[in-house]
Amino acid sequence: MSQKTERRGIHVDQSELLCKKGCGYYGNTAWQGLCSKCWREEYQRVRQKQIQDDWALAEKLQREEEAAAFASSHGAPAQAQSTPPSSQSQSSLGPFSKFEEKKTNEKTRKVTTVKKFFSPSSRTSSKKDSPEVKTSSPSTSRHASFDSDQVSKDFADFLKSMQRPGREIHKQCRSFLLSMSSKKDLNAEEVSECVQDFYQGLADRLTSHFKGSSESVEQVMDQVEKYIMTRLYKSVFCPETTDDEKKDLAMQNRIRALHWVNIQMLCVPMDEEIPEASESVVKAITDIIEMDSKKVPRDKLACVTRCSKHIFAAIGSTKREPASADDFLPALIYIVLKANPPRLQSNIQYITRFCNPSRLMTGEDGYYFTNLCCAAAFIEKLDAQSLNLTPEEFQSYMSGQASPQFDRSRLAADSDPAATSPALAQLRRNLDLLSDLDARQEALMEAARKLHAELPAWSESVRREVRDALEKQPLTLSRPAVTDNADANELPPQRSGGPSFG
Amino acid sequence: MAAAGGGGKSFSFKVVLLGEGCVGKTSMVLRYCENKFNDKHITTLQASFLTKKLNITGKRVNLAIWDTAGQERFHALGPIYYRDSNGAVLVYDITDEDSFQKVKNWVKELRKMLGNDICLCIVGNKIDLDKDRNVSTEEAESYAASVGAKHYRTSAKLNSGIEELFLDLCKRMMEAAQVEERSKGNGGGQSASGRRGVQIVDDEPQAPPTGGCCSSG
Repeated sequence: MSQKTERRGIHVDQSELLCKKGCGYYGNTAWQGLCSKCWREEYQRVRQKQIQDDWALAEKLQREEEAAAFASSHGAPAQAQSTPPSSQSQSSLGPFSKFEEKKTNEKTRKVTTVKKFFSPSSRTSSKKDSPEVKTSSPSTSRHASFDSDQVSKDFADFLKSMQRPGREIHKQCRSFLLSMSSKKDLNAEEVSECVQDFYQGLADRLTSHFKGSSESVEQVMDQVEKYIMTRLYKSVFCPETTDDEKKDLAMQNRIRALHWVNIQMLCVPMDEEIPEASESVVKAITDIIEMDSKKVPRDKLACVTRCSKHIFAAIGSTKREPASADDFLPALIYIVLKANPPRLQSNIQYITRFCNPSRLMTGEDGYYFTNLCCAAAFIEKLDAQSLNLTPEEFQSYMSGQASPQFDRSRLAADSDPAATSPALAQLRRNLDLLSDLDARQEALMEAARKLHAELPAWSESVRREVRDALEKQPLTLSRPAVTDNADANELPPQRSGGPSFG
Repeated sequence: MAAAGGGGKSFSFKVVLLGEGCVGKTSMVLRYCENKFNDKHITTLQASFLTKKLNITGKRVNLAIWDTAGQERFHALGPIYYRDSNGAVLVYDITDEDSFQKVKNWVKELRKMLGNDICLCIVGNKIDLDKDRNVSTEEAESYAASVGAKHYRTSAKLNSGIEELFLDLCKRMMEAAQVEERSKGNGGGQSASGRRGVQIVDDEPQAPPTGGCCSSG
């Protein structure tokens, strides 16, 4: 096959270009030599099979469980009872697979849009799903739904432990997903309404029929949310019926335009010079960005909560007293501005629409999420007044004509990377010390060399002086120093400049 | 979010804390939830979201206290915070006339947005600083009465009046929740279904038949 492909570069036989299925249309190597129509059939066949496998897996798990339940209560009829579900899976396959197909198509169309590039996770997932990229072999599509496979399996495992209510829940969830797949024309709010109604109905049913305690109901609802929303994610996150995507982009640009907003303007009680504080800030930013990669509303919510906790840690290591909302909200706004989280509006909308309301409206998670909504709203409406700036200042910063560093030294400090990182500052200080030491060493060497150079000259000069002195005053006469009178008489008359003895 | 999981045996309430920057909101909740004031040993890292479990006349009450950012620049965000709350504690500083004016603004706004569904408490904090008082108790009390709120006098520093304030508020919220439940007729099992305004009771039983139908076919 590969040889053939190589030869094709030189000589192309007409027959080789045609679809391998022999339908008369032209094929394409990207589609394994099939024409677009045959490729789609082939692709659908594989996909159908995969979905069938998924269902079979779920069915198998359920059958096992049912069989166990019936075996314990009815004995023999268990076998008979266990068969119908499989036929159900067959009948349910039709609409569901179509639903899947539509989602895939939607995904493919969306891949081209800019926002996909902002989120690494969505990029990879769209890559996995879109038939364009997956050209090499349709079997790779198995990976596409790996996540949801895993989730389905976990869900089935979880329900298995619950006996009768478990089966009931499973049935409810499946029929709900089925009914959702047939309601494609709903707008986002209606879909949200359906999902919320389902949550509510199921929770009520669990409470009234199965007498579940509120904790266990909560636990089940978490699992249900995970299962349902992983399945629905692709079709209901940032759906095309809404302008979420537009809002995302607007937000993204808005935050980018506000890059000059600093910690002082927002009066955030965080000092990033403190290593622990700046570390927490980085973690908070990571968490809020990570939110986009989660599929289940509750997981997204957990990211917001983690982010908030890191913010509190940052404030805590700066202020050493519990942070109030007065401290927290500005800090969160600052983090959001710094992070510019991908698809912020879509995520907020998605959580609002599909999160289990009991979690969202009360509880700590709900509080932090509300603050995130506030931060987003504040950023959208932010003006000169909200930063304590004059409108002129605000305008010039927004237009990029000026930058908000107030004096020269501040500017220097900010453009200096050392200002942002204490480690760098330390490094810089050490380097300064080293270069100082180096300079002093150099000076010392220079002085030594000079000394070395001067030394011969000095000894020469000493020698000369000595010679001069000797010439002027020969040493021969040094001994008779004591006998002055006699000496004076013996000696020849002295030259005037010499060392005088008399 | 309206109260009551499991047929009125327990309640959960959301209470927002409103008030200007330095009126002592944070000290107040910390005093209430941790019984500490300006203490080095405060364990919590944050005082913006605190919970308290109470038992009032044999009924369990979960109280979630939401602090709000008091700075003027965040004023417009109020509605996002107090949406679905059962009670609001509006705090002013008795030495600060301005903070009382702020409270009046909040009350107006809350009544406009939430009507009478919310229990309002107007709280004059820092009564330990009575000598610097700038807001008279009579004025504040008559104002509170005129807007259907209750007035309280507290000091976080002296731990005075705070316990009473929250206990009273809880009782009022319980009453309100029970009244609402009764007016709805079928309180009982369908808890908290008011939020969405849609009765799903009809919708839900349809789901099992669809499942059953499929399994038979």
